[in-house]
Amino acid sequence: MHGSGAEISREVFWNILGPGFPTEQVLLYVLVFGTFLLFFRGLAKSGFFTRLKAAANAKGPEVDRLGNPWDRFWYMVTDVFGHRKILREPYQGIFHFFIFWGFIALLITTAIVFLQADVIYPIWHVWFMKNGFYLGLSLFADVFGGLAIVGILMALARRYVIKPQWLDEKGEDGVVLWFILAILVTGFTVEALRIQATEVDPSSPMFHYVWFSPVGRSIAFLFSGMSDVALRDTHVVLWWTHVLGALAFIIFIAYSKLIHIFMTPVNIFLRPDVPQPPLKAMPPEMFENAETFGIHNVEEYSWKDIVDGEACMRCGRCVEVCPAFNTDKPLKPRDVIQDMRTYVGEKAKLAIDADGTYHVIPDEEYTGPGFIGDTISRDTIWACTTCMACVEACPAYILQFPKLIELRRYMVMMESDFPAEVMDVFKGMENNSNPWSIGAHVRADWAKGLDVPLMSEKGGAEYLFYVGCAGAFDDLNKKVAVSLAKIFKAAGLDFAILGTEEGCCGDSAKKIGNEYVYQALAMANIETFNAYNVSKIITMCPHGYNTLKYDYKELGGNYNVVHYTEILDKLIKQGKITLKQPIEGLGAITYHDSCYLGRYNKVYDEPRDIIKALNSGSLVEMSSHHAKSFCCGAGGGRMWMEEDLGTRINQKRTREVMASGAKTVCTACPFCYTMLSDGIKELEMEEKLQAMDIAVLVAKAAGLDGKGQEADAEPAKAEADSE
Amino acid sequence: MNTVVCMKQVPDTETLIKVQGTGIATDGIKWVMSPYDEFAVEEALQQKEKMKAGAVTIVSLGPDRAIEAIRTGLAMGADNAVHINDSAYYNAADPFATAAVLAAAIKNLQYDCVFLGKQAIDDDSGQVPAMVGELLGIPVITQVLKLEVAADKSKATVTREVEGGQAVIEVSLPVVLSAQKGLNEPRYASLPGIMKAKKKPVDVKTAADLGVTAGPATAIKEMTLPPARQAGKIIGGDDAAAKAAALAKALQEEVKII
Ligand SMILES: Cc1cc2nc3c(=O)[nH]c(=O)nc-3n(C[C@H](O)[C@H](O)[C@H](O)COP(=O)(O)OP(=O)(O)OC[C@H]3O[C@@H](n4cnc5c(N)ncnc54)[C@H](O)[C@@H]3O)c2cc1C
Ligand code: SF4
Ligand code: SF4
Repeated sequence: MHGSGAEISREVFWNILGPGFPTEQVLLYVLVFGTFLLFFRGLAKSGFFTRLKAAANAKGPEVDRLGNPWDRFWYMVTDVFGHRKILREPYQGIFHFFIFWGFIALLITTAIVFLQADVIYPIWHVWFMKNGFYLGLSLFADVFGGLAIVGILMALARRYVIKPQWLDEKGEDGVVLWFILAILVTGFTVEALRIQATEVDPSSPMFHYVWFSPVGRSIAFLFSGMSDVALRDTHVVLWWTHVLGALAFIIFIAYSKLIHIFMTPVNIFLRPDVPQPPLKAMPPEMFENAETFGIHNVEEYSWKDIVDGEACMRCGRCVEVCPAFNTDKPLKPRDVIQDMRTYVGEKAKLAIDADGTYHVIPDEEYTGPGFIGDTISRDTIWACTTCMACVEACPAYILQFPKLIELRRYMVMMESDFPAEVMDVFKGMENNSNPWSIGAHVRADWAKGLDVPLMSEKGGAEYLFYVGCAGAFDDLNKKVAVSLAKIFKAAGLDFAILGTEEGCCGDSAKKIGNEYVYQALAMANIETFNAYNVSKIITMCPHGYNTLKYDYKELGGNYNVVHYTEILDKLIKQGKITLKQPIEGLGAITYHDSCYLGRYNKVYDEPRDIIKALNSGSLVEMSSHHAKSFCCGAGGGRMWMEEDLGTRINQKRTREVMASGAKTVCTACPFCYTMLSDGIKELEMEEKLQAMDIAVLVAKAAGLDGKGQEADAEPAKAEADSE
Repeated sequence: MNTVVCMKQVPDTETLIKVQGTGIATDGIKWVMSPYDEFAVEEALQQKEKMKAGAVTIVSLGPDRAIEAIRTGLAMGADNAVHINDSAYYNAADPFATAAVLAAAIKNLQYDCVFLGKQAIDDDSGQVPAMVGELLGIPVITQVLKLEVAADKSKATVTREVEGGQAVIEVSLPVVLSAQKGLNEPRYASLPGIMKAKKKPVDVKTAADLGVTAGPATAIKEMTLPPARQAGKIIGGDDAAAKAAALAKALQEEVKII
């Protein structure tokens, strides 16, 4: 073998190959071949192929995740190598980055060594692994291998010292780390022994360059007293230990969460297109001819939903951010994905015949545990606020919560199985087009005496101001609607409201799982919007915003929708609204990102810019904000349900407001406004803290809060009349 | 067990009611199944499910629009319906005339129990259950909170509300029962239920078809809305004593109750 001469390089297989026929090299080939066989056997044993078969036979709607393959591929490459999402969490991001790049560096180095020693040299007798290139490679492998050890130590520290609550604790989790550490340490020790034996003597051509293997060189000091024979004997033993360990590790990948090394990139390639609603509408024609709605058999999911389970490496980032988990409810998005994965595998085993054909097991024949209830508990299903924190956090681009909503669809539409208090909400939406169950005829009463233009009188306007149910029916939020109407008028905006022609957007119905009622509400609104040729819409509520903007598109309603903060920000910057004087007594202000405005629609800056323009207090951030903002607890129809498990989400968020040092928390969502106002009351913090909607503050700063106060008293009277 | 449910379509409780002549203006009204009738439908369904046999028939007097409420009942799970669509009778809004057509329709059906709401929430007369029982010549138990029917359908044990308590009554079947809130939690119609309801049979009849000639026993002379609620008054004062004095003065001089 080449490499023992006087040039700057090293002998590959130094001290390993015996004289003559390279028995050891052949043995190595056999071992590598065997490893790959065992790897695939491992995949089969751990049910990987069974589950893929289940995915291939999934009955759910077709999802297009292969369009724009080059864009997808490029995104995948940059995401995998650049750790775009992984690095959002600094600690685990950095240790993963170190381990990942350690792996990559050692993989590249091993591949180059293989090419050199087993392909290029035997065929062409060329030795390129020398001089500068060799030294560079040596340094590269050593540095990144060293960082991988740092990464592993950080991961071990997290697992055994920091121990975050959301971390999963399976036996394999510790094993993975110790395993990698052992491979890295034996690898470096082997290197150190070789260095001590061949490179530290001044006669060695490597003598001046030995520090190009900084980690190996440092460890070599430990062996400085050993004899050449002892060095060589230890080296042989450790070399084989290292090699066998590395091969065993490859097999271990097939049995453990490490399969994510392959499956997570696949899932990144297959990631959902953005922007799009993470929860797809059910095709309207289904309501004419389908026999079952939503999902109760796991086979009814789409293939992509099943593949998601293979990409999940149980990192727990989704659990860490989940408001349900953080308030002691039984929901952990990771466990939903993992439990579903296990269940898919178990059920698929029964569905696959001896000859490998897959047949769906009819409900009558299936006697095993069910999916709803037995596998995913009802409390889990109802705990989700659809805040999308899990989806946002997941480095594998898994859609966790939509899988739960599919189950809600089945429970609600097929079984009428939902929390009792939701009955009135559905009836309210069906009979009066609002979840408060207040008479539809008082929908426009908030605007009495304000001279707000009506579509039916005006015939048309540049903007439709879609108020939504909260602004129309909820006393606290009527103030927001009033403020907005006054601001729009003062700014000379060409707008109109629909008055009593407006209907509920349907978001709550949709997220509770009642797609049937949602679509009826949506279609009614779309018809009304189209009758007035509406093209631009301003919404007061982020839920309406998201629904009108994305969900209505699926039903044929295409509108240019903005949230009120976007328009107010613009009007302020254009000088069409003058914020005349600072508002006294706000203290430090913090902004609570609404899930449906922030994570769903990436509107983060406008509300903050408006708050800054108020000039009435410094803007401070809470511990979680922007994409990591913590939910108020009202999304996903939770606004209408009792919260009797664990602690209250709104109170947790209120405490976070408190901890930020702010005296005023600004909201831009009626649900958040309500939840935080309630949280402050429940915790008896009224003295120290207040919740305020941004629109109310803007109206005040613009001197518009005085006029038209009689409107506030009107609706209460109207309600009394109708009793 | 076969049951009949008398079900009335009424304006939604939140709807704006406008008086028109001796009735109400019907434009813009959202119509629903009378809430007590939902308890009646639910109980009939639960009894059928318990016995695992029989049919639930809905009987309703009302105009064309009443079919929506009938379909709601069918979507909840009732098997078929009789819709008495006769303007002379539904416009009369008279408890006796109503009871007469309902009883005539029920006579043609198989039944062990007849369920009604304890009252319809629109005109609130609360008389129809008793009259139907009388016209059918069978016992009536009103304000029912709990019902247990013997397996052989010979008798039933009924719990009903009495002032400040409950009474448990044993009664022979067939019987007329009027449902009080608390009897059960009405179900929400499932989507397959809604779709199946579209295909369930509804028998449309007039009073003449049923051989009913009895006219209304009453006539409405006038209809008015209750007076608008007065705004509340907040009694002010520098301290508790002053406030108490002001309150006493107001009660004495303005309201004249002390
Ligand atoms: C729609 C509705 C709304 C109601 N709202 C209220 C309310 O808001 N507050 C409230 O307190 N109550 C309310 N009630 C109850 C109502 O007050 C009683 O129903 C009513 O007082 C009569 O009682 P009853 O229906 O049980 O009739 P019955 O007990 O049958 O008595 C009816 C009448 O028959 C006669 N009668 C009965 N037995 C005898 C006898 N042995 N000898 C001579 N005469 C007899 C008496 O004149 C008696 O008043 C309501 C009832 C209805 C139907
Ligand atoms: S959407 Fe929010 S509440 Fe629901 S599972 Fe995800 S993180 Fe938890
Ligand atoms: S679903 Fe995503 S975020 Fe949650 S544990 Fe799995 S990979 Fe991590």
